[in-house]
Amino acid sequence: MDNGEIAVSKALALHLLCTLGLAAGFFAAGIAYNLSLVTDPAQTLSFLLVFETPIVVASYSFVRRDHDRPYWEAVSMALFGLPVGALLNALGAIVLGAPVGPKYWISTIYWSCLMSLFTFVPAVCVFGWSRMDWQRIIANSKPKQATDCLVSLPAQGAIVGAWLGAWPMPLDWEMPWQEWPICVTYGAIAGYIVGMILSTVFVHVMKNHPHVKDD
Amino acid sequence: MAVAGGTKWSMIRPFLVLFLLHTLAIYFFTRGFLLTRTELDSFSHCSDLAQSPCSLPFPNSPSDAPVKSNFTAGERPKDRGCWTTPSVDRLVIIVLDALRFDFVAPSTFFKDKKPWMDKLRVLQKLASEEGLSARIFKAIADPPTTSLQRLKGLTTGGLPTFIDVGNSFGAPAIVEDNLMHQLVKNGKRVLMMGDDTWMQLFPDHFNISYPYPSFDVKDLDTVDNGVIEHLIPSLYKEDWDVLIAHFLGVDHAGHIFGVESEQMINKLEQYNRILEEVVNVLKNQSGAGSLHENTFLIVMGDHGQTTNGDHGGGTAEEVETSVFAMSLKSSPTSISSVLDSDFCHPDLYGKRLCIGIFEQLDFAVTISALLGLPFPFGSIGHVDAELYALSARTWESEGTNTDGCEVLSDLAAWKQNYLKALCINSWQVQRYIDLYSTTSVIGLPLEDLYHVAQLYSEAQSSWSDTMNISCLHGDMGNNILDSLDSSFQQQIDAYSNYLRSVSKLARSAWTEFDLSFMGVGFIFMLISLGFHLVSIRRLSMLCQPYYGGMDVFGIRFSLVSAFLLVAIRAASFLSNSYILAEGRVASFLLSTAGILRLWCSISNWKFPTYELLLLFLNTIIRHGIVAGMLKETSGSTSLFTFYKFIFHTDEKDPMLIVLTYSLPIISLSILAIMISRFLSATSSRMCYRYILFIGTICSYVLISLHWVSEGGLMPSFTFLQYIGKNLAPRLVYAIGFGLLVPSVLSQFLVNGMKKSTENLSISALGLVSSWSSTIIILLGKQGPFAVLIFVSGAWCIVRSSRLESKRRDLGVLIIDPTTVIQWSLLAVCLFFYTGHWCAFDGLRYGAAFIGFDHFNIIRQGFLLAIDTFGVSHILPILGIPFIVILKLQNSNKRVSVDNIFLSLTQVFLIYGLITSTTTTLTIVCVAIQRRHLMVWGLFAPKYVFDAIGLLLTDVLILMASLYYY
Repeated sequence: MDNGEIAVSKALALHLLCTLGLAAGFFAAGIAYNLSLVTDPAQTLSFLLVFETPIVVASYSFVRRDHDRPYWEAVSMALFGLPVGALLNALGAIVLGAPVGPKYWISTIYWSCLMSLFTFVPAVCVFGWSRMDWQRIIANSKPKQATDCLVSLPAQGAIVGAWLGAWPMPLDWEMPWQEWPICVTYGAIAGYIVGMILSTVFVHVMKNHPHVKDD
Repeated sequence: MAVAGGTKWSMIRPFLVLFLLHTLAIYFFTRGFLLTRTELDSFSHCSDLAQSPCSLPFPNSPSDAPVKSNFTAGERPKDRGCWTTPSVDRLVIIVLDALRFDFVAPSTFFKDKKPWMDKLRVLQKLASEEGLSARIFKAIADPPTTSLQRLKGLTTGGLPTFIDVGNSFGAPAIVEDNLMHQLVKNGKRVLMMGDDTWMQLFPDHFNISYPYPSFDVKDLDTVDNGVIEHLIPSLYKEDWDVLIAHFLGVDHAGHIFGVESEQMINKLEQYNRILEEVVNVLKNQSGAGSLHENTFLIVMGDHGQTTNGDHGGGTAEEVETSVFAMSLKSSPTSISSVLDSDFCHPDLYGKRLCIGIFEQLDFAVTISALLGLPFPFGSIGHVDAELYALSARTWESEGTNTDGCEVLSDLAAWKQNYLKALCINSWQVQRYIDLYSTTSVIGLPLEDLYHVAQLYSEAQSSWSDTMNISCLHGDMGNNILDSLDSSFQQQIDAYSNYLRSVSKLARSAWTEFDLSFMGVGFIFMLISLGFHLVSIRRLSMLCQPYYGGMDVFGIRFSLVSAFLLVAIRAASFLSNSYILAEGRVASFLLSTAGILRLWCSISNWKFPTYELLLLFLNTIIRHGIVAGMLKETSGSTSLFTFYKFIFHTDEKDPMLIVLTYSLPIISLSILAIMISRFLSATSSRMCYRYILFIGTICSYVLISLHWVSEGGLMPSFTFLQYIGKNLAPRLVYAIGFGLLVPSVLSQFLVNGMKKSTENLSISALGLVSSWSSTIIILLGKQGPFAVLIFVSGAWCIVRSSRLESKRRDLGVLIIDPTTVIQWSLLAVCLFFYTGHWCAFDGLRYGAAFIGFDHFNIIRQGFLLAIDTFGVSHILPILGIPFIVILKLQNSNKRVSVDNIFLSLTQVFLIYGLITSTTTTLTIVCVAIQRRHLMVWGLFAPKYVFDAIGLLLTDVLILMASLYYY
């Protein structure tokens, strides 16, 4: 069965875990070092990474499409995919106007790793290097399987959120959070959470109308 | 429908209609929005008073004849004054920038007590305890409430507007007659300390000055400490007549921390201490014969501020500031009948305190009257009764009792003095209004002028009668004295009435927007948008037979993303921050569009070469824009700054010098190679192609020669130097023009020429390359690189859109609108990349003098326009045919010639639609933000640039369509 099918409860649990990972990251940074994204973005982002990476890699590898592949293979591919995705995200950000310079390198690297966790790593975990799946995801034709939703909606949410999050940056409010990459990170996380909620809803809808996928 | 000779006009007609609509829209909106005032360069002189009717009633008075002789002899008017009798010897003006009214007035005047109130206790104490000599006024400023405009308004007594048409274009120094000029002309010594804006406005008016830089808003103390250091010692000195001390701390504290902050309160308390000290020093020396016996102290704000610390607009918080005036000699007690007691409340200690109302407009003329100076020529203010009465000497009768006129009571004597000042005041204002309405570009409404003139003649006709009464009655009883008093009062009212109507007229002409004109302009703009849409739709209907098959989803995606991109860009003009960051916003959107394309291409499983190249180019552009915003000097090019930015080197670095010369020349050669490759790829019109090629290469060589000689790399050959410096640019302009002529001629004369894609591409190339050399040389060394970026960016945009057109044909539109939008975004980005921005200081004035040493308004204006709009309007619009040519050439279908021209028309229309949509939104935003604090600093210049850009776009499209069809 189950090539690409997934229980609603499982999807919900997966998303909850990911959200908890982010929350735990923020919480730990706040408690242990009294850090927040605004006061020290780089450090806080590193905390988020420490908590979120294992959770995303472990949980998405668990729902991998091709269950014939061993679990460790999915995990190791995910760990390989993390820097690749980070590179793509960093390039995208720089093209869109992220500042370049010694002052920003560290936070850009951490930020793009986090974006990679939101976008690229789940896809690598679930699909491996299957060209068919990748093409379908990129072309964004109607999602045929539940796992597609699970991967693509949060990723799209994170990207759109980050894009929108860049808009307050040029305003003259002189708020500390208008610095790169603070508001972009907030936007990305907000978009990611919205995407996760949507994907849970979609998985639920697909379960109830299974014939939709035949069209 | 075939496109033959007859239908050429039917395709051009829409462009003509659009051009007319846009012209009307811009004309009407500008009439309503851009307030203009002409600066007159006439000055008031002491001797002018002889022309006034005001000296008549005192034929025997000793005060007239000596005055005139004083000035014809060119002596310094020490005692007698000039137009009025001076009543103040020395004047101390302390300007506290952005002083809100509630900083000064006691908190009992307001509903709630706020933490920043009652900090300047010393002023409140003086005003309530010494009501005969000190008073607090609520001063009303006229927008725009920025320091520069306000200082200008305060000293000229006029109403500075956005466009003060005059000789001062570019430099802020005041050319109109003003208080400072009169002070200097009449031998007063002025001492200035504080804000260096004064130095910009009055570069050589001060005897001694201690200016401090005002641009660093985050620095609360430098200016203030500098002023404090010099202020108190100067009060003990005799070497000045007028002292101006301008504190900036409150303004800066407001901008950075807001009004309710700790820093603001500290600043106010600091000022309180300083003012206390100043008052003490002045009082200690106010005895008879002392230094400050007859000194007048004024503590004033130039404008207010909102609680966030913003100012510039016209809200009550911003225009309400304060004036505190104190004379060191008390006036007689009858002053209380002159001072207005409408606005009184108990102060903090329960004592009744009254506050006067003062218009900043009246400042210049009142101060001139107190000091006995000629009133500034362009002043439209009126001598303020209360401020005038505070000076004790205005209560002294002018010795008329010797010639038989009775000894007047204090009040009557004051009224007589005041009347004399008002008479001169009215005459001077009427003289200005008369001259203004005959010489200015946009005059004042005729019926208003007539009304004002009538009031003036009425007031003046009763003047001599009033003055004669006072002398006719030798001795008189109380009732005659009363009637004298009432006739004085009537005369004062007549003058005040006249002066009030003048200032009302001036305000309506110079500070009020005409909303109905603005509305009409906006409606015309909307009509033009509708016309655009209808024309595009009609063309699509025409094209449908050629392109069957509709892919609804594809169209929708493309249209929606195109619409969103334009809408986001247009909506961003609502905020001043986005207008400042417009270049970055455009580059962000261009990248977004590029990434969407990249995505499409990847999802088709194709390697996205062109898309990646476009993104890379955009990254370069963005860095250029950011570096261009950092630079302060207009001399250095943004490319140059970019190197410095990347490699952290200074200008002396030999590597950098080599780079700055070799890179432009290398890019120039690449451009030349590209043109020759493109030319050799076509086969028709041999002769024209050769002319084009040789001409372009020649001008590129001349450009290189010009740069090398400019750089001083070959100092010995003065002849070559001359050729390179002035002759080469002129030759380049000539060649550019010379290449245009055969292009146009061949297009019109050789009518039988086959209309083919190839011909169209040669014509387009001819047009673009003949313009390019002029634009490159004007842009300077960054030019070739900018043009190279444009050419390669444009190439990538067209190439990357090809993939999509193969995949799905757009049924409604022949050309994918996103391509056109990317094209226009690229043009916008290049405007900012080449070091321009939408402000008048964003013009590259240096470019106008390439090849010429002397200024000629038409020639230099033309060059400046080409420099400003060259790479952002001229090249992109003339290059539009390449979108169609490359796209249709590369699609596999056989395309008929008619179709090429139909799609060309459509692309022109879409491009025009994009420009007019953004301009429409600019108009809307400017209208919404017309009371915004940055309206004159940002929104208005943005509007001017957009309006000119829109009209230029229309003209260029019209020309291009005439040429290509």
